[in-house]
Amino acid sequence: MASWQRGLWLFFLPSFGLLAVVLLWPLGYAIFLSFFDYYLGSGERTFVGFANYIDLLTEARLWNSMWTTIIIAFGSVAVEFVVGFALALALYRLHSSAKIFSVLLFLPHIVTPVVAALFLKWMLASNWGFVDATLLTFNIEPPDWLGSPVWAKVSVILADAWVFTPLVMMVLYAALQGLDTTLIEAAQIDGASSWNTLRHVIVPALIPAIIFVISIRLMDVFRFFDLIYVLTGGGPGTATETITIYTYQLGFRMLEVGKASALGVITLIVVAMLLLTINRSLNKAYRGGDR
Amino acid sequence: MTNQLNILKTMKGATAAIMLSSVATGALAQDAIRVISHRQPALEYYTQQMVDALPAGRVTVELMPIDKQLELASITMSAESDAIDVLYLNDSSFRRFASNGWLEPIDDLWEKYRDEYDLDDFPQSVIDAVSYDGKIYAMPILTNTELFFYRKDLLEEAGIEPPQTMEDYMAAAAQLDSARMAGTIMSLKPVDAALNESHWYMNAIGDGWFDENWKPIFNNAAGVEAITKLKEMTEYAPRGFTAHANDESTINLQQGLAAMGLQWFTRAAAMDNTEQSRVVGQIEWVAPPGGGARTANDGFAISAYSSADRDEMFKMLAEAASKESMREGAQYAMPPRLSVLENAELAEQYRWYPAARKALENGKAFPAMPDFNDVGEIVTRHILRAVTGEAEVQEALDQAAAETEELLTSRGYYN
Repeated sequence: MASWQRGLWLFFLPSFGLLAVVLLWPLGYAIFLSFFDYYLGSGERTFVGFANYIDLLTEARLWNSMWTTIIIAFGSVAVEFVVGFALALALYRLHSSAKIFSVLLFLPHIVTPVVAALFLKWMLASNWGFVDATLLTFNIEPPDWLGSPVWAKVSVILADAWVFTPLVMMVLYAALQGLDTTLIEAAQIDGASSWNTLRHVIVPALIPAIIFVISIRLMDVFRFFDLIYVLTGGGPGTATETITIYTYQLGFRMLEVGKASALGVITLIVVAMLLLTINRSLNKAYRGGDR
Repeated sequence: MTNQLNILKTMKGATAAIMLSSVATGALAQDAIRVISHRQPALEYYTQQMVDALPAGRVTVELMPIDKQLELASITMSAESDAIDVLYLNDSSFRRFASNGWLEPIDDLWEKYRDEYDLDDFPQSVIDAVSYDGKIYAMPILTNTELFFYRKDLLEEAGIEPPQTMEDYMAAAAQLDSARMAGTIMSLKPVDAALNESHWYMNAIGDGWFDENWKPIFNNAAGVEAITKLKEMTEYAPRGFTAHANDESTINLQQGLAAMGLQWFTRAAAMDNTEQSRVVGQIEWVAPPGGGARTANDGFAISAYSSADRDEMFKMLAEAASKESMREGAQYAMPPRLSVLENAELAEQYRWYPAARKALENGKAFPAMPDFNDVGEIVTRHILRAVTGEAEVQEALDQAAAETEELLTSRGYYN
């Protein structure tokens, strides 16, 4: 090692320092606070051990919000994957206009989620919103998009899909660009139908990209906050109250910082476990297909 | 070695630059007095008065929905940050902030400027409403009350008298409800709007929220009846009522999409705004049927952590709350100054004043506890579960009562 190279480790410090400040310190502090009964209003902290965890894990609200999170997360990712994959395949078939369409289809993803949610909120507003007004013009009675528990979940899922389908589409479209076309040609010469070509040639070749995009989206959706916060605020009632919304309610509405920190830690563990499971399952399926 | 030295020098320089820029930004940020407030017509007017009270650039105002404002203020105050200097507080949030020690007592300034701004013009009841534990914490800005708005033309056409009781209201809403126009507005967006609407039902039909020992009574038979009626009334509300707050309900009334309902005094003038309303001159007001709708005394308080000049901030508030300012602001909100309130011209000039005076008599403020906002978060969540069919009314209210007791126990109410 040349003498001047010995000092290069200094370049590592800023990024490590930044990570420590914005990630490790808050995480450690959240874990520390989760062992305290800490109401921000009083400013007093009392050590309570695992009491916050026990309280949370034994209350129905946590499990309701967990269930809502799972419904919304898997619903959103399913819609995003199916539609995104279909669009990616359609773009792959196009030649001259693919670039124009890909840019147009990517537009919803460029918009900040909060702005997109505000835009959608006014689109879905009852009576005078764009969607309601259009349907009413044709004498169609629209559903209560944000006011009915079922439709509120559907609206949130569709809103997330509207913003993030373009991302899925672009990742899969990029993966399709690297596809070995001789495999498709060979399948066609062997008389494989379009469906069989898709199922047995294209999808297996895209598995790494599919694993990547599903993992990334699931991780994101489990931390999903901004769209729900703006669209429904977790309501009506608790219909769209996900774990993150519940954490927010505890921390920023009720100012119960200890309990909110414990919920944050629980969420972290749940998401990590879920992602590991999904990654393993998809990897297993991929390796199985390979054999 | 020279390279290593250069790297170190560059890093030191960059660090110094970052530190200097942060100090400079902090100094600039401290220059202006930062005011945050809920956004509604009266507060838009009064915050503009604050801006005008001091030289240009001395005051910055940020307006936002009440729930966002309270969140921002709670986070800032709990961090003991001086990022906010002056903030709007309603009666329930005011008590919480004062009891947490987040507000600056202003008794000395009140005394100092008593004559200059004729502060004795505020009635004692109003001063009591902005006081906590014997100290004054806020400059009273508006007395607010909920009114019952109704479409005079539609009621006359249908031969319906303005509702005097909850039964009258329910019958009228049912009669006027149609596919194109809701029978009544209902603002059930959590927390503030839903809490206001529930407060009315809980007082007009139920027995109120608590007994004298702060034990919840809203889940007794009368409370269950109140929320059952509220749920029944949602049948005549516009779609999306669970996401509607004051803004949405005001638009529904202005656009002729709803025939009647409960809304704040501060929204009355908007009904006759020719640029926004399709029902100019067609809306009339009475005191809310059955009584018990919310009344509030709201004001602006100084943060305990503000680093701005106290005298300057107080004078800014006092200018905004002056007689002249309030005489002008009377079109947006009921001014708490006696000299303005007793002005006979007001009733002639603003059609909703007679109804407002009656509403103040039969209305009811939120329970005087610092933690009522937190109770409201629990209660509205469960009421909405009942309204949307997630749970039965009794079950939802019982759960709300259990959670409320648990919360109040943890906050030392039953010691």
